[in-house]
Amino acid sequence: MWRRGGEAPAGRLALILNLPTLVALALVLAYPICFAGYLSLHEVSIRQLRSGVFPWAGLANFTRLFQDEVFWLSLRHTLVFVAASVLLEVVIGLAIALTISDERVWLARVTRLLILIPWAVPPVVNGLLWSFIANAQYGYLNRALHKLGLITDYVNWLGQPRLAMAIVIAAYVWRTAPFNILLYHAAIQGIPAEIYEAAAVDGASPWQSLWRLTLPLLRPIVAVTLILRTTFGFMVFDEILAITQGGPGNDTWVAAWYTYRVAFQPPFNIGLGAASAWVLAIIIGLAALVYVRLVYRRLEYA
Amino acid sequence: MRSLSWPRRLALWALNLGSIAFLLLPLTPVVLGSLQSEKSVQSDVRALLPKEYTLANFQLILSGGRSKGPIFEQVSYLPKSVEQFPLAFRNSLIVGLAVTFATLAAASLSAYTLARLRLRWTQALLQLSLVSRMVPLIVLMVPLYVLFRSYGLLNSLTGVIAAEVGLLLPYAILILVPYFAAFPADLEDAARMDGCTRWQAFLRVVLPLSTPGLAACGVILFILSWHELLIPLIIVSRPEFMTVPVILAGLVSDYFVFFTLMMAICLLGLLPTLALVLALQKYVVRGLVSGALKG
Repeated sequence: MWRRGGEAPAGRLALILNLPTLVALALVLAYPICFAGYLSLHEVSIRQLRSGVFPWAGLANFTRLFQDEVFWLSLRHTLVFVAASVLLEVVIGLAIALTISDERVWLARVTRLLILIPWAVPPVVNGLLWSFIANAQYGYLNRALHKLGLITDYVNWLGQPRLAMAIVIAAYVWRTAPFNILLYHAAIQGIPAEIYEAAAVDGASPWQSLWRLTLPLLRPIVAVTLILRTTFGFMVFDEILAITQGGPGNDTWVAAWYTYRVAFQPPFNIGLGAASAWVLAIIIGLAALVYVRLVYRRLEYA
Repeated sequence: MRSLSWPRRLALWALNLGSIAFLLLPLTPVVLGSLQSEKSVQSDVRALLPKEYTLANFQLILSGGRSKGPIFEQVSYLPKSVEQFPLAFRNSLIVGLAVTFATLAAASLSAYTLARLRLRWTQALLQLSLVSRMVPLIVLMVPLYVLFRSYGLLNSLTGVIAAEVGLLLPYAILILVPYFAAFPADLEDAARMDGCTRWQAFLRVVLPLSTPGLAACGVILFILSWHELLIPLIIVSRPEFMTVPVILAGLVSDYFVFFTLMMAICLLGLLPTLALVLALQKYVVRGLVSGALKG
């Protein structure tokens, strides 16, 4: 393939080496996304899947989607879920990252070894675990709160809309906050100690150097986690499936759950599912764009 | 560094204890639940600790429902997930290993070209990897289901592996690029001065010296594959191809399931990745940081 003593030009080499990746991305990412667009404009259900003929439906799937109250409800729940979970992930992430960064307390070294444990738990296991924790009769949340004297009667956590959503958010944040802790901790360790020493010499209190030095220096990494966690938050599925299955009623239906139920549970309306999946993708794309414009732009001038 | 004043030391201790409680407390019900009988969970609904401990749940699951023992002797109904667990565990292992090695092979070739041969279109590929991480998986699953149905890839481990490789490949590239970019170019140049082609230099010098990066990426890939629910849930409907997360999801709609059994299956399902994370923490941490910073 190569001439003796010479070698392929960089361009051709790059193409050859990237061939497996390009093929995989084309088959499993690019083509399916386009195909989803095609499906959303056609009538596709069990009968059409069997016959292999998908009749043209125009925008019928989208009209049906936008007239479906449950779809709008799911979008609203998704926004609540994303806003609450991202906020908690950042706050808890920063709090724990700052806690473990002070090495003068030896317990911090123990805490540091444990950060990744929730991240190691499979999402569906996490969901089942929290459904047990929040169970009305036997759950450990009720047992613990009762022992502490905070409640007298057991609470049916998953039976009430707001409480059920709160449990799902708590479960999700518990599993995902470690990712933020890790990134913030790495960034804090990258801040040179001299800066703090100089600030201390100038008479800054620890509290002041936290607010005036550490947190502003962490802004770039917080921006990165905001983008990543927002886009991932829009995709939440496993915890919903394992804890509430969208209940009580429709009160914890989120966008990914809506698509799954519409497309893969009776009546298996794949066309409608593709349409709602596309709408979700567009929302995530817009959210990412807004972040990149607002957060990154501001960072450059900061 | 200056030493701490005692109020600050006390506050930091309290904060550390709080953090440890946050990280570990939600896991205690899995351990407590899996180590007792359903009778003991139901008999005293106020107790935090069980009166007696038993390993019967694990015996039952690990034997695939055959070794019932005194606790389950009288039980006529057992969830299907109990019988399916040993096979599902094997399927998860096969899928996890195949996905890890296939993704690692393709991603290391790409990441090397992205980091070293800075061509315009390879840089575009890097941007594309970033963007494709933000495509919601459910968007891919609707068309993949229809496509795999016509290719005959539904109900096969091959289908699950193919879909997971496609999903994880962009992320693996993002993790590996910083490793290859940080690799000293002098070493590679020296090899090429001695007559190696770029390809030989990559194979004989760059790859062997990049094992920490490959290990970090590999562990993360295996863990993410082990965790993956949506892909096998949609592609597989026959029990013989189900992975651990799928049989766990099967417990959800089962109203007669014992919580103790459920927690025992959960514990067995989370042990492999927990052990990996604790044993290879250094690599996992570096890989996760590396994969995020390019964002």
